[in-house]
Order: sequence, then structure tokens, then C-alpha cells
Amino acid sequence: MLEETLVLFKNIRNPDYDKSLAAYKKSGGYKSLKKVFAMKPEDVVQEVKESGIRGRGGAGFPTGLKWSFMAKGTGKPSYLVANADESEPGTCKDRELMLKDPHLFLEGMLIGCYAIGCHHGYIYVRGEFFPSIKILNDAVDELYVDGLLGPDPLGSGFNLDLTIHTGAGAYICGEESALLDSLEGKRGQPRVKPPFPAVSGFNGCPTSVNNVETLACMPFILSDGGVDAFKSFGPQNNSGTHLVSLSGHVNRPGVYELRMDVNMKDIIYDIGGGILNGKKLKGVIPGGSSSPVMKADEIDVLYNFDDLAKVGTMMGSAAIMVFDEDTDIVKLLHRITRFYAHESCGQCTPCREGTQWSKQIVRDFLSGNGSDEKLKRLDRVGGNMLGTSLCALGDAAAMPIQSFINKFPEDFRKYYATA
Amino acid sequence: MPIFHIDGEPVEFEPGEKIISAALRCGKVIPHYCYHPGMSVVATCRMCLVDVIDLGNGRPAPKLQTACSMDAAEGMKIETLNKKVEEGRKLVNEFLLVNHPLDCPICDQSGECALQDYAFEYGSGKSEMDYSKRVSGWRDIGTFVALERNRCIQCSRCDRFTREITGTNEFGMFNRGHELTVDTYADRPMTNKFQGNMADICPVGAITEKEFRFKRRVWKLKKNRSICTGCSTGCNVTIEHDRNEIFRLKPHENQSVNKWWMCDEGRLTYRMMNERKTRIHQPLGRVDGKLEGISWEDAYGAIAERVGDMSPLPQEVLALTDTHASNEELFLLKKLLKDIFSADNIFCPLPTWEQYESDFFINTLITSDKTPNRAGALALKIKGDTKTAKLKKAIEGDLKVVFVLGNPFEAELEVQEKLKRAQLVVHLGLFHNSWSEIADVVLPGQYYSEKEGTYTNKNQRVQATEIAVQALRRTRPEWQILTELSQALGKTGFFTSVPQVFNAMSWEVKAFSGLSYESLGGIGKELTQKAKDTGMKVVRAQT
Repeated sequence: MLEETLVLFKNIRNPDYDKSLAAYKKSGGYKSLKKVFAMKPEDVVQEVKESGIRGRGGAGFPTGLKWSFMAKGTGKPSYLVANADESEPGTCKDRELMLKDPHLFLEGMLIGCYAIGCHHGYIYVRGEFFPSIKILNDAVDELYVDGLLGPDPLGSGFNLDLTIHTGAGAYICGEESALLDSLEGKRGQPRVKPPFPAVSGFNGCPTSVNNVETLACMPFILSDGGVDAFKSFGPQNNSGTHLVSLSGHVNRPGVYELRMDVNMKDIIYDIGGGILNGKKLKGVIPGGSSSPVMKADEIDVLYNFDDLAKVGTMMGSAAIMVFDEDTDIVKLLHRITRFYAHESCGQCTPCREGTQWSKQIVRDFLSGNGSDEKLKRLDRVGGNMLGTSLCALGDAAAMPIQSFINKFPEDFRKYYATA
Repeated sequence: MPIFHIDGEPVEFEPGEKIISAALRCGKVIPHYCYHPGMSVVATCRMCLVDVIDLGNGRPAPKLQTACSMDAAEGMKIETLNKKVEEGRKLVNEFLLVNHPLDCPICDQSGECALQDYAFEYGSGKSEMDYSKRVSGWRDIGTFVALERNRCIQCSRCDRFTREITGTNEFGMFNRGHELTVDTYADRPMTNKFQGNMADICPVGAITEKEFRFKRRVWKLKKNRSICTGCSTGCNVTIEHDRNEIFRLKPHENQSVNKWWMCDEGRLTYRMMNERKTRIHQPLGRVDGKLEGISWEDAYGAIAERVGDMSPLPQEVLALTDTHASNEELFLLKKLLKDIFSADNIFCPLPTWEQYESDFFINTLITSDKTPNRAGALALKIKGDTKTAKLKKAIEGDLKVVFVLGNPFEAELEVQEKLKRAQLVVHLGLFHNSWSEIADVVLPGQYYSEKEGTYTNKNQRVQATEIAVQALRRTRPEWQILTELSQALGKTGFFTSVPQVFNAMSWEVKAFSGLSYESLGGIGKELTQKAKDTGMKVVRAQT
């Protein structure tokens, strides 16, 4: 029986834990912060680098490296922005953390701020997460009362303020530069890179944007012996535990904390308890709706960044969506294309026109107007979006289209062959 | 300067310069819609894709890159014409045309439309889009430009223009995704004074000038370089005309004067250029107290005869001019007085004027001095207004001959009343006005668009204009009238062209020394000896 490895969920899996500051401190919370305050910020970044942690938001960029890229000596303030705009379809891990153990995340946030020399951190929370916003606000209030935020926490001489900012409901604001635009009060639209946020981010100042889960790993990494323990949880370059959001046609959907050397088949059949109603598996979307789909016979693979990349897909935000043999692939693709057509910011051409056009073509199949020609055209429109757009949304919209057509062409043909 | 290669040709660049700007400077055209050298880079149209086959470190870029957002680097090699790039441009163009109404036959941009040009170059000629197109409709956004949103390709140039160039922020992008469109905020009409530029920078027909709408197809227009004479800034323009009628003025890039812009007021000066009704069509002479049409020879003959009869003393001769006259005309008028009458009584109105100071460059384009050549008059040492004692003294005494160029002191009835008494009043001008009422001989001149000339702008930069349209048949350019007049009055030596006059001027007048007509080139040249006080008063622009 495969079991969870509890690092982030250590408190959450404890039924008596009440997420208050007192409870968090009782379970050993804010000890790492105390240790960090005694270190030099460069050493903190070095430790994070050594732990090999890769960003949990989807791109998997090494966090330590990101922090070390922060422009120094510019005379401008540095900022840490926590990306809590979790909106990739199928993903619900950050919400769990914020709802059930906000202080774990906040301690990570404090450590991150200290490491990059940020004196005013921002938490950009998805606008629809009303309970999370309230819980985070309460937790921040608790920290101010306790003296961990504000001037001179724990006698460190390091001043820190935190502001919680709520988004207005755009998927694209989960992209770091669009998030920063939104935070500045502008339209949330991705910016041209370079310059990267580490050079010119929030209000033109060096900024690091990090995922909630990434920051929540920090207290563990910076605890005594944390780096080595963290590295031991997975194969090389894929260290640590991570939160997997398992959803779809499985018996036990949910968010699970797993090591990175776990087989995806075991996640579905063991942790997830197999397919709902004893049906057969048809396919899996392994990392949020943007990742290329996998067929039932392809899932015997280790669930981490590198192994999934090797088989032509990606782990993304670690959201596994399982669908059984009765699933209508065209309807599923229609749902996904509708999502991207709705959420494209519209500034760049391939994504603005391509998402809408592909949605219309998929709808044609559903209404019985499909044809071989249209299938080819859908594949072409998807392909034209791939790699030509300004940000990753164009790619995210294109990859499911191409992989669905590639892996399940029969499902599309069924629609027009019988009609 | 460091060097990188475009299609095998070496191109110099400044560190930090984008590929597209270095390429455009060297005459390499990379198709683009959203990029504009005067505004921030957004890289959203994706048209300027290039293939970077060597990043400068021996490795190629993984995919096509946008030339507008990528910094040029030493040793970089890019290709702009290979198969991969062509495919990339083709697909971007296909996406842009998916929702474009293709109403070129009734669109004023047709013929100068980037989308049309690139569709011809890269488009497949057929559409695979078989759904109804997006309809956003037109919006009334103000008096100067019209907005037809269906044609919009969402390049956001107009949005950036009001944000970064005028700072007025009245225009923006609305909705998102496929519905993304442009509009003014809260349905308010636009208020900035530079709206015409939005029509210029719009790469398609979404924003067009209301003045020009449905007037003429652009490929019929002939173009001539000139400057705007609406104020003393002297923005560089192209006069666009067809069949001797001027249809519009478009700004011409000159980084030292107006960059890429001009104001709406300046654009409207084209109307005056087409004015015919109030123009003086032929030389007029006063016969029995009434002005009657005469020939040029008779006009010159009559003036010469009267002057010969009077043989006036230097203090009995006076010339008045306004600062609409070109440098050459002012020079020749002054020379005429000096050579024929040994006189130096030449006056023009030179009130103080206001120059706006602003955080946004474009606001500094409008000055309160609505004449194009005030600094030229200063350089030629033509001074004074009614308040100066010298002019008052000159008109106190007995005047025999008065030359009036243009329409100076038009509101000074006192001056006009006194000059009526002069025995011979010669008026050189274009329009019937209070001076032609009292003149004994009227010599019809020509408008800016009809003659050559140079003008000195507020920053004392000398700029030349070209002949754009044919003048009225029996008029002559003022420089020619003045040189013919001085010949009729007994001067030998004759100028046959404006460059000749200019070069004589640069020889004789200190301020113009070192300049030659040829050296002005397309963008003009500043005076070598500048006047320190040009009467400028700097005021803060109202926003």
C-alpha cells in the first residue's frame, strides 16, 4: 500500500490541529524562521539552491536559482509576491494549504522575504477563494499581534509587512508578469520578457513570484537537516514531496502529498482507489488541463518533472485528471477549448484568434458537422498557436488540442462517421 | 559599434537596441503591426518573427523570435526570409484575417494598409474560417477621427499612444480574449489635440481621419515634402494632393523637430491651401481710385515710373512684412530697400509667444506663435512692432513709398490709416485684406504649398519646402516678384531660383553663414549664429 509522505501535510493530517498560530507554534512552527534570521540571506538562498526544489506552480524552475537572479545593488526595493492565484483546471493544492495550514505558507513567505531582502511581501490570492482570503487575513493579523510581522520580528532587526491582494477572476493573472500588472492595478496581461521580474517586476523593481506550495516547503528545507531530507524524497533534480491533486473518475479523489519517485499508476490505482464503478481507464491528463493527455497504457511512469517530460507530457501543477472508458473525448476537449477561449487575455494574435477558432471547430464536431478536413484544420490551428504566442497560454491551449487528436482520433471520427 | 548579421549582411547596432530597430535603420524591412519606434514594445502582433540561427554563442534560438522584443547581440545571425519565417508570418496573418471584415473596397486605409500589404505578401488567398466573424461595431470617439472596430487587429498602438505619448489616457482596451476591443472610457469623446496621429499609427483602417474619409483613394495621392506652417514649430509634413487639390497633411519623421507627430490644428491647415475664392488672382493697379486687373509688366512699369518721379529719400521708404514670409522673401525685401533706396525701415510684428513645457514631448509641439518664420525675421534683423519708437517715428514723417508683404499689423488700424497717406503703397500678398484696400499696386503671391522656400522654426532650425501643387495661373512666388521688382527699379543682377537666393543670403547674412540650400537636406539645419532671445515665454502645459 502506497502511503503519503507527510511534510507539508504534517499538521493537516492531524485531526486535532486547528490552524491557529498557537497550534502551529506548538507543532514546531516558526523555528525555521528563527534559524533563518540567524543566517545571512545569501546562505539561505544557497541552502534553497542545494535542496534542489523546483517551483510547484507548473514550470518547475529551480527556486534557489530564481532567487539568486534577483538584481542587486539597483537601489530599488525588492519584492516577493506569492502566487496564490491557483486557477489551472484540476489543481486545488494551494487552496488546501491556505485553508488548513496558513501559517506553514506564511512562515515560508517570511523566510523567502528574508532571503531576497524584501520588506513588503504581497500575496496575490485568487478572487474566488473567499474562505482562503479570510483565513489568510486572520493569520496575518495574528502575526502582527504576535510581533512576527512589522518592525523587528524575533529581535532580528528585519522589518516586514505583508499585504493580501485579491485577484479579479482571470486565469491569465496566474502568469507571473500578468499577475504583477494586475497587482499594480493595470489590466492583467503578460508582459514581454525580458526583462524578467527578477530584474524589473512589481513597479519596475526586482521581484520574485513564487507559488504557495513552493514557499510552504521552505520551513522544512531550512529546518535542521532539512536539505538532505528534502533531497531524499525523490530522484535527482526532482527533490522533495509534492502535493498531487487527484480528480476525475477515481474512487478517492483528493489532494495527496507524495514523494517524487512514485509511479503514476500507483497514484491512480492505489492512492486513488482505482477507477470509479470498476470501469476501465481511458486516459489521464497528468498535470492540469494544459498538459498533453496520456492514454491508459502510457501511465506506467514515475510521477515527477523529468520522467513525465521524457514521455512527451508534463507534470505542470501536479493535477491528475482521470477519465474512464465512457468519457466523450470531444466533449472534454470542447470544455477545455471553451475555457481557454474565455481566459485568453487577447493581446497577442495567435492566442486571441486561435483559441476562439479552435473552440468553434470543436463545437462543429459536437453538432455533427465534423469532417476529416476539419479534424486536419483543428490540428493545424492548434499547431499554429504552439510556440508563437507571447506567453504560455497559447501553448497551454494548443497542447491538449494536438494531443487529443493525436491519441484519440477515433473519438472524433465517430462524430461524423455516424452522422 | 558592435555588429550582427541579418540575412548574411552585417548590421551595426547600439547596445540594448532591438533587432527590428537596427534592421529598420539599415533599410531592412521586417513586417510588423504593433511595434512603433516611439512607443513601448508589447510584442503582441507576432508578425515580426525572425529565425535566430545563431544567438551569438553558436547556438540557435529554439523557436522563431519576435524581432521587436529581442535585443541584438554581437555575432548574432538572423534570417528574415527563410521558409520557417515565411510559414510563421503566414500563420499570424491567417489568424489576423480570421475576424477581419475584408471591406477594403470601402475602407480609406486601403492602399496604405499594413494588413492588406502583408496579406498580399504572405496570405494564402483563401480563408478556411467558415463561422460568422466577430462584430464590435463603430464608435463615435470624437470630432477628428472615426473608429471602426471591426477592422481592428488589437495591436494596441492607439492605447499606448494616449498612455505614453499624450498622457491623456482617454483611450483603452476593453474586454478580453476574442472580444478584446478598443474604445474611449465611459463613452466620452476624445479631447487630446493630437488625435490625427492615432489614424497615422493605426496599421489598419480601424482609426481614420474624419477629414479625409471617402475623399480620395490613397494610391491616387501624390506626395511632397514640406513643413507645417500652422505655428513656429515647423513640423515636417508630406502634402498629399491629387489633381491640384490638397487632401491632407501627414507628419514626416524628423527626430529633431516633431519626431513622428503633429497636431490636429496643423493638419487642418490643408483647407486654407485649397482656398481660391478670397485669393488675388492677378496683379491689380489703382485706376481712378479703383483696383483693376493689369499685366505684370504694367505693374512693374507703373511702380518704376512712380518711384522715378518721386526719387524718395531713405527715410521716406518703408517696408512692412509679416513672419509668414520665407527667409528668402524677407532677405530680398530687405535687400530691395537697401539696394534701391539705401533704406533700412523694415518692420514686422514680433510679439512674445508662449512655449509649453510638459512631461510629454508632444505637448511642446504647439506654440502660441502661429507664424512659421519668426526666428527667420530675427536672424535677418527685421525688428519692431507698433510699440517701438522706430516704427512710430518712421510713420510720423512723410512717407513716399511703402511696401507691404503679406498681412502685417492687420489689427493696427492707426498704422494703416497713417500709411494711407503715402504716395505709393505696394502690397504683395495672397488674399484681399485691409492692405489691398489701400494699396496702389497689388502683386499676387503664392501659398506655401505652391512655391519653394525656407523657414526658420522656433528652435532656429532652417527647413525647406517643396512645390506641391500648381499655383494660380497669373500669380508669381514672392521671391520672384521681389527680384523682378528690384530689376525694374534699376538693379542689375538677377536671381533665378530659391537655392540661388538662399546661398546669396548665407553669404551676406551672418546668422545664415555656413549654410547652403543643399546642406539643409530632408531634415533641415540649425542656424550657425543663434539669437539668444527669441521672445519665448515658457509656460506649463495644461493637461
